[in-house]
Amino acid sequence: MTPSSAAGAVAIEAGELTIGGGLLALVRPTLDLLEPGGVLAVLSRSTAVREDLPSWCRAERHEYLGREEVAEGMDRHLIARGTFSVPQGTREGSLSIDGRDGRPSSAAMLTAVPMPARASVETGFAPRGSRVEPGGPAYPFALNERDRVAPPDVARLYDQAVASQWDANRDIPWNTVGKLAPPLEHAIGQIMTFLAENELSALYLPSRFISLIHPAFAEVAMFLASQLADEARHIDVFLKRARVGGGGLGVSSVTTSRSLLSLLETRDFTEAAFLLSVLGEGTFLDLLSFIETWAPDEATAELTRRARADESRHVHFGLSHVRWGLQHDPALYGQLEASVRRRAATLAGVGGVPAPLQDALTILAAGGTEPKAVARGHEAFRELLETMHQNRLKRLEHAGFDAIQAQTISALHTPNFM
Amino acid sequence: MRSDETILLGAVAYDSKVVPIWEGIRAYFVSEGVPLDFALYSNYERQVEELLAGHIDIAWNTPLAHVRIRQRTSGKSLSLGMRDSDRDFHAKVVVRSGAGIRNLKDLEGKTLAVGSRDSTQARILPLHFLQQEGVDLSRINILPFDTDLGKHGDTGSSELDVLRALHDGTADAGTIGDLVWVTEQAAGRIDPDKLEVLYTTPGFDHCMFDALPTLPEKKRRDFTRVLFAMKWDVPEHRRLLELEGLREWVTPREDGYRSLEQALDAGSR
Repeated sequence: MTPSSAAGAVAIEAGELTIGGGLLALVRPTLDLLEPGGVLAVLSRSTAVREDLPSWCRAERHEYLGREEVAEGMDRHLIARGTFSVPQGTREGSLSIDGRDGRPSSAAMLTAVPMPARASVETGFAPRGSRVEPGGPAYPFALNERDRVAPPDVARLYDQAVASQWDANRDIPWNTVGKLAPPLEHAIGQIMTFLAENELSALYLPSRFISLIHPAFAEVAMFLASQLADEARHIDVFLKRARVGGGGLGVSSVTTSRSLLSLLETRDFTEAAFLLSVLGEGTFLDLLSFIETWAPDEATAELTRRARADESRHVHFGLSHVRWGLQHDPALYGQLEASVRRRAATLAGVGGVPAPLQDALTILAAGGTEPKAVARGHEAFRELLETMHQNRLKRLEHAGFDAIQAQTISALHTPNFM
Repeated sequence: MRSDETILLGAVAYDSKVVPIWEGIRAYFVSEGVPLDFALYSNYERQVEELLAGHIDIAWNTPLAHVRIRQRTSGKSLSLGMRDSDRDFHAKVVVRSGAGIRNLKDLEGKTLAVGSRDSTQARILPLHFLQQEGVDLSRINILPFDTDLGKHGDTGSSELDVLRALHDGTADAGTIGDLVWVTEQAAGRIDPDKLEVLYTTPGFDHCMFDALPTLPEKKRRDFTRVLFAMKWDVPEHRRLLELEGLREWVTPREDGYRSLEQALDAGSR
């Protein structure tokens, strides 16, 4: 090709810029717009460029086609883009902003580029939608199948999570915590100890999976990050409540410890979502509701109400995750039931609900130690267990299990609730 | 000539990255069913002798080592392949903007920094071409940077020495290869107000895989087949190609070494 035959090429005005003086900042992005073989014309007043542009083209494997003087002191250099560069792919358009509130929601932004069914290990941390230069190293992201990782509503849940963050100092009416009779205050301390211990496990378990999630499903990692922030705030607020009232922390029982270890040892992401979010946090919704109902002060009621709202989002994600997985892989029913059985086997012989917690919940519902009130408290506790079971059945059936499977799984669920 | 089936390849250890390059290429060849091993030498002179003695099958040679093998085998040696980046090298004469050098004649009486005496691009060919252009080298104050002798300029350190001498004013002009010149500029390490190119040499070619004509046909075929199958967009290949400074291996050609042959002939007269 001679320079004059490429008159229709893309052209840039480079003035007196040299290779070492900024010219490449014009040349490279413009070449990037071309397909391999596409021609770029560089209009230059620099004589140094006459020497250096061909050398640079050789170094970068572009083809230097030649030069002609188009005016006094003005050269036109022609370059054909080489084949060793980032593939053209599809360039993204702009994001349309939600007509209702005039804001670009994260869900709209993230779902603008659909998730791949299977993510390539070679795209690494490249944001979904970017043009990935081929030949990059393989990354160890084991969770790379959409149907086992990313339910369709995850980006929407992330938006909700971000909008629902609250402040454990500012948003709780701590001044409503008054002086309670010691047995009731100790019961509160015991309940808060139990909640904090379980929420710590809910902080640690998802964090084990975040680093395995392929960044092509970044919204899942982002949602889980919000979940971790929620758990951190819950731990904070539960420990505060135990200490603000003067009751202090109570007992950590072996039942809880064994139950949480068997949870932490879960190695499969979907099994973890099922055990932690659907069964564990699902059961916690009823527990938090119970505490809110019998709370002796507004602070306790408010913090359990807020924690419950967060937990219900986690349950929603867990249910979505499991439902989506079951729809795409019927073998998952057996796998999840087996994981519940395996966990139940490690807990065989531990008995029922940890005794310190059971007693504390009874005293909380009784509002004190007066015997008739305690009888009512005990009855409320028994009702709580039944409510938990019934709601687990509903959630399991919503996830896609049949009634018999749901009965089996709910009955095998840990007496530690989580 | 070696009798076992393993292709034994010689290379010069001019940098610590040479080990992962050839370990990677060895593993790649073995995975393709072609046994290959490598021997590392500290300098090209010994590698040339080892190839001629039949101790290695193939040598990865600089242009200077390649031309010596051609001469010692009376042109009968086998050239097996080269990097895409080995074709159409140029050398540059770069001058300090304030040194008052407008043309090649102005170099006389000035200080010219040059690279190692066994560097094709930073010394042998730029000085050869300057002589061809009529420059009297005896009237130039030559400032040599004879670093890494035996490595034939592979390390590039003498070219960086030349650029430093220009930047700090020790030299008025200097000779370097065009790849170092453009990559240093592209990386922003050259002050464009201080340095400019006075002269670019005609093109010449660089490294080559050399073998003796007695190399068994099967080894020659297996070596070139597997070598040319390396692809830039295959991650394991790309890692090696990047380290070795190429995008693809290409077939050999001899025309690009004529100027170096002439320069060496002239030098030995």
